[in-house]
Amino acid sequence: MNIKPPYLIKHILRLSCQVICLVVFLILFRLTDYRGTDEIGWAVNVLFRMDPLSALTAMLASKEFIILFIPALILVVLTMIFGRFFCGWICPLGTLLDFFGKYVRCSNKKIVGVRYIKYILLTVIIVGAVFGLQLSGFFDPFSILVRSFAFSIDPVFNYVTCLIFDSIYLHGPESLSNLTEPFYDSLKQTLLPFRQSLFALSFLCFGMLLAIFLLEKITRRFWCRNLCPLGGMLALLSLGAFVRRVPAKTCKDCHDCAEICPMDAFGDDGRLKNEECTLCLECISKCPLKISSFKVGRPKKKISFDLNKRFFIKWSIAGAVIPLVSRVSIAQKIERPFLLRPPGVKNEQEFLAKCVRCGECMKVCIKNALQPAFMESGFEGMFTPHLVPRLGYCEFNCTLCGQVCPSNAIKRLDVKEKQSFMIGLAVFDKDRCLPFAKDESCIVCEEHCPTYDKAIKFKEVRVLNKSKKEIMIKQPYVIDDLCIGCGICENVCPLKGNAAIRVIRQKN
Amino acid sequence: MNRRKFLQDISMWSAGLLLSPPIFNITPGLFASSKKIKLVVAEGMNYDSLVKELLEPLGGLSTFVNPGKSVVIKPNMGWDRNPDQAANTHPLIVKSIVNLALEAGASKVMVFDRPCNEERRCHYNSGIRPELEKIKDKRLKCVYIDDRKFIPVTIKRGQSLREWAFYKDALEADCYINVPIAKHHSLAKLTLGLKNIMGVIGGSRGKIHKNMGQNLADLNTVIKPALTIIDATRILLRNGPSGGNLKDVKRMDTLIASSDTVAADAYATTLFNLKPGEIGSTVAAHKSGLGEMNLSKMDIIKV
Repeated sequence: MNIKPPYLIKHILRLSCQVICLVVFLILFRLTDYRGTDEIGWAVNVLFRMDPLSALTAMLASKEFIILFIPALILVVLTMIFGRFFCGWICPLGTLLDFFGKYVRCSNKKIVGVRYIKYILLTVIIVGAVFGLQLSGFFDPFSILVRSFAFSIDPVFNYVTCLIFDSIYLHGPESLSNLTEPFYDSLKQTLLPFRQSLFALSFLCFGMLLAIFLLEKITRRFWCRNLCPLGGMLALLSLGAFVRRVPAKTCKDCHDCAEICPMDAFGDDGRLKNEECTLCLECISKCPLKISSFKVGRPKKKISFDLNKRFFIKWSIAGAVIPLVSRVSIAQKIERPFLLRPPGVKNEQEFLAKCVRCGECMKVCIKNALQPAFMESGFEGMFTPHLVPRLGYCEFNCTLCGQVCPSNAIKRLDVKEKQSFMIGLAVFDKDRCLPFAKDESCIVCEEHCPTYDKAIKFKEVRVLNKSKKEIMIKQPYVIDDLCIGCGICENVCPLKGNAAIRVIRQKN
Repeated sequence: MNRRKFLQDISMWSAGLLLSPPIFNITPGLFASSKKIKLVVAEGMNYDSLVKELLEPLGGLSTFVNPGKSVVIKPNMGWDRNPDQAANTHPLIVKSIVNLALEAGASKVMVFDRPCNEERRCHYNSGIRPELEKIKDKRLKCVYIDDRKFIPVTIKRGQSLREWAFYKDALEADCYINVPIAKHHSLAKLTLGLKNIMGVIGGSRGKIHKNMGQNLADLNTVIKPALTIIDATRILLRNGPSGGNLKDVKRMDTLIASSDTVAADAYATTLFNLKPGEIGSTVAAHKSGLGEMNLSKMDIIKV
């Protein structure tokens, strides 16, 4: 690399901005957890709240203005002024691709004719949202990134670290573990998550991120150039941006800029396509003549853009048809008795419209109870959270999922509201429940039931047990009006396999 | 007698000793009959000084905690409930005991419990962790349960349970101080000192509920607290053990201490207008020779 000052400073400036944003992202990710107070201060949801794609689709699909998304508006305005700087300077996924893509990369082939895919995705997603189908979660770069971090990378990181320290502790000599344990303790308080979480779809979510990295094998920033719908949206917004490169074209005798551009943003005529430029400044840093720079210019009179109206109309039709297909899916009619939504979700349709599948509620869930759905709520509900009581229950005093939800799909409830919010209803299976089926005393469910006036009560019954002896036994039952369906009863039921008490979803 | 014969005899005799657990069953009973068990009851509004007053007739905490020894203090902090809701041991009580143990020169003071709700929420909402964080002493460790530390223990004197996993730190402590809160429990009627041991065992605790009284007695043969302090500053009368409703809480401003957990439980039962004989675990533990449940056979000191 041959970069000389003062261009080096610009190079470093961008690099440090990327690093800082990535570190902030990672810190926010770690902070998205319970930390001793009911209220969570900062969480990684700021990333989604400034994501105009999530914002637009959630609002279009739910036909509602969501105030949480105000920061997205700021990004829109900034992009209209500066261009697609976000992709080059801030986006944590872009930064990761810049830093780690080189280990995958082997060539920098020119691939022609795929660049418009991001506009197809964008059009389909936005028009789909107008017709009520929320698709952004499948392709939004933050959703993909945070999900894979929350469901696979972070848990695997914890698993591996614990495996090392645990094997030293369990199998190594004590002299060694005496050295490693204090270090392990301090790691637990800083870098590691509080507990080992387990997630459904950890493979799939990791695979999606991995695929984006593997695409680097074809060209640099393949995802950002060709596929990212958010990138496409920011590209469209930056068509008339004020900050532009001067000269706009490559010089006649030198095409270095075009060669080194990570976004391959120079057209065949040597002109820089504004909407593809992420202001990464590499062309300036490496300009042999040091004549190129970025300057604030007047708004263009005529905006040149490769794609025409027909293109967008064509794909808008596709975007309108896909929601129709989902309308005839059995998901519309089938009752899903065990699909329990987080507290704060009242209406399933509204929830599916607003949820951007960012995975934060599942990341923050302190009992690891919220899991991403696969086909439990149909294709359109993939990656949405649902409560799996056998894994974990909804903690009575906890309101974190509603606090981190960036799109208000899970409403923010105060503790009092949460404590009376009905997630489902617990129902006994008396054929299996010990006091009924085996005449054994148990009522662990009643013991754990968290409502102040217990929703599970019991009656003392005189029964003849198997050896024909008369015994008194406590048999539990549910008071429907008191049960909130938190699932702790199902969670602690001592039976193997399915619990003898299960939380059933009530119609909404 | 040659050397070989000597060694043979020694090993035979010692094996004989090891294989005769009933001896241990009798010993506590003998002690109990020869000497009245001491039980102290203290009443007072000032929780900071109440523990000290309570322990004075027993010779202070330093009779139990020798300098340089490790101490485990096992409160009940199993529920995500605040101190007023009376589901966990009062934080000030725990704090005073910790302070006394540190003053007595303990090398290490550990406070832990295996909770029923999310552990961090229990630690914070119970008020115990925030209160202990105020004590700036490196010997004090208020820790979350580490699953690696549950080790299987053969319960030699168990009548209903033969084996169960116990928490290593609890087993290894030089001095184990049991600090339960007295509260209602739907299945066991009351949860007191003997039941507090559920917080240092591993495995599926739901299984303990079948034949609970005897199971608890069996578990208590493994760990014998040097001291049991029952927190009855507020007691939970209904909807236990988790409670929540302040109407179910009765303020008593009382503490009970004894080196005999069964005796402490028996006395605490009377605060609920129940008889010691009504509590399954108390009866079972008494029968197993773990302690005295007959109030008239105790030396009850009120301060």
